[in-house]
Amino acid sequence: MVVENTQTKRTNTRNSRMALTTTAVGSYAKPDYLTKARSEFAKGSIDRAELEKLEKQATEYWIRLQEKIGLDVLVHGEMERGDMVAYFSGEEGGNPIKGMKLGGLVRSYGNRYYHKPIIAGKLEWPGPMTVDMWKYAQDLTERPVKGMLTGAYTMVEWSFDEHYPSRRDAVMDMAKVIRREVEALVGAGAEYIQIDEPAIHTRPDEDFEVALEALQATVEGIDAEFHTHICYGEVERIWERMLRLPVKQIHLAFKNTDFAYLDQVREIGYPEDKDIGVGVTDIHTRFIESVDEVKDGLRRVLELFPAERVWVLPDCGLKTRTVDESEQKLQVMVNAVRDIKQEKNLD
Amino acid sequence: MQTTVVGNYPKIPNKPRPARLRNAINKRDRGELADDDLVAVANEVTIEVINEQIEAGVDIVTDGQVRWDDDQTYVARRMGGVEIGGLQRYLDTNTYYREPEVTGPIALKEPVLARDWEFAQAQSSRPVKAIVPGPYTLAALALDKHYGSREKLALAFAEALRGEVDALAAAGCKHIQVNDPVIVFNKDDYGTFHKAITKLLDGVTGAETGVYTWFSDCQGILPQMLELPVDVIGLDLVAGRGNWDALKGVSFGKKLGAGIVDGRNVRMETEQEVAEAVKRLTEIVPPGGLYVNPSCGLEYVPREVALAKLKVMTAGARRAEGVPA
Repeated sequence: MVVENTQTKRTNTRNSRMALTTTAVGSYAKPDYLTKARSEFAKGSIDRAELEKLEKQATEYWIRLQEKIGLDVLVHGEMERGDMVAYFSGEEGGNPIKGMKLGGLVRSYGNRYYHKPIIAGKLEWPGPMTVDMWKYAQDLTERPVKGMLTGAYTMVEWSFDEHYPSRRDAVMDMAKVIRREVEALVGAGAEYIQIDEPAIHTRPDEDFEVALEALQATVEGIDAEFHTHICYGEVERIWERMLRLPVKQIHLAFKNTDFAYLDQVREIGYPEDKDIGVGVTDIHTRFIESVDEVKDGLRRVLELFPAERVWVLPDCGLKTRTVDESEQKLQVMVNAVRDIKQEKNLD
Repeated sequence: MQTTVVGNYPKIPNKPRPARLRNAINKRDRGELADDDLVAVANEVTIEVINEQIEAGVDIVTDGQVRWDDDQTYVARRMGGVEIGGLQRYLDTNTYYREPEVTGPIALKEPVLARDWEFAQAQSSRPVKAIVPGPYTLAALALDKHYGSREKLALAFAEALRGEVDALAAAGCKHIQVNDPVIVFNKDDYGTFHKAITKLLDGVTGAETGVYTWFSDCQGILPQMLELPVDVIGLDLVAGRGNWDALKGVSFGKKLGAGIVDGRNVRMETEQEVAEAVKRLTEIVPPGGLYVNPSCGLEYVPREVALAKLKVMTAGARRAEGVPA
């Protein structure tokens, strides 16, 4: 069953909290025509304008699909980005941060390689990097679209650095750059800004305070609702420190660990002034969870959190899943939320 | 003093040079290339990376571990009792390995390293060092569904790997190096590491043996490591700056594999920096007991950077010896 979008105004604003807000983490799969166009562009057989037209076409597809499925807060899908760090560092079509460039190929695993970015000079904001695409996506819909950025620590940790004397120096300068982008997005009207920090647990003892300080410098005093996504690593090890991050919402891959993070919430806690983003579908598998399975997970979460503080998402970005798999996973998620709301009489 | 490398070397160059191995694996995966033809490409790339190391002036080279997907699974997947699972982040890098899953008794089924070494040595004018995965690291990075104890698992890996080591020695390999980095992150578990390395290398004759670590220092465990039945201890002196202090506190009675060129960053060292580090080291170990090498395998940097780093390293080492470059 499909829930039609009959809203004429934005369904969820920062000041009207609703129960079990549904959203997504960030990336979606690029449709085949876009993958093909990107490789044609790389070979020089189509121009930038043609590629951009197709990126916008694909963005509109994902906006409409999320509306049709019935998500409350949307993402634009990152059709213009190849990689969450490289896009800001010299990927074609992006507006690279000054001081950054792309290096040669480095192997990530198996037969997968990527152009690892290099910090080659002083980092400076180059002017808006993500605002045009955010605005394009937001103009398509009445529902809020999140501004999507990569956090300063992850930007630096996943790059080479041949310029700064210490990681701390690089991260703090990077935070200034990301802050300027946040300001530009908020100036353009974004209410929700997501700042992803998937590398934050890389060296928790050595570096966590640097990452925390950088995020503070990125968001402090700016009037927007900030979310962060953390995944793929030992979240348990940083749980207590992570709770100090200056964001309204932390979202985590709950499903992938069968909701084991709820043990951390029970044992260590979770701050009352933060929302929790709960990943309810595993993005690493083609298998489509059943509505009942997602409902079971949500019931376990609702034993510990009031529904107004729970946001419901997939575990991570869906770019590794096909368009069909993504649609099915999102639909199951939204259907489960609808059922739970009925069951518990929630609005 | 001799120059060497720690293990892996970037498998593909950047444009305009063709990424032959990457393309061949893609073709094989699409069913357009037979497995034997992929082996032929891997052979050619192995020769190419050996020649590149020799061109850079490296005295003792490796085969670049061109055939290895990661440090664990190349050998582990050929063992009985081991299956290969999902992707896991490798230590504090942004690279991934597939997690070995131990589901039954570990047994060496299909030794592979002596064969690879014989191929590489036949193609090389310089000695080729064989790399053996460390039993402690294998145990620490595997998912144990069978042994129920890290020590039992590490010793089982050591026993199976001993077959690889004995085959290498029998084939005439003169330099056998065990890469066992994870102990620097698990120093509390040092006893297990010591037993596993002893089981793997004690009594090996006819070859120089070594154990290498990286990404952190051996402060606190270096004195015990110097009791290991090995000839060479490899230390990362870049990410593990504490190793400089650790070296001050011991009488270094073995050869030192000194990782002084950063294998994880593209920032280029100067010959002068290398020469100065080498001079500092020769106050700790006699020049005859010193290997100069990068801090870790070079696959974390692009191919051209790896080559440039090796050139700076060998030139810096020669400068320290007072030999005109």
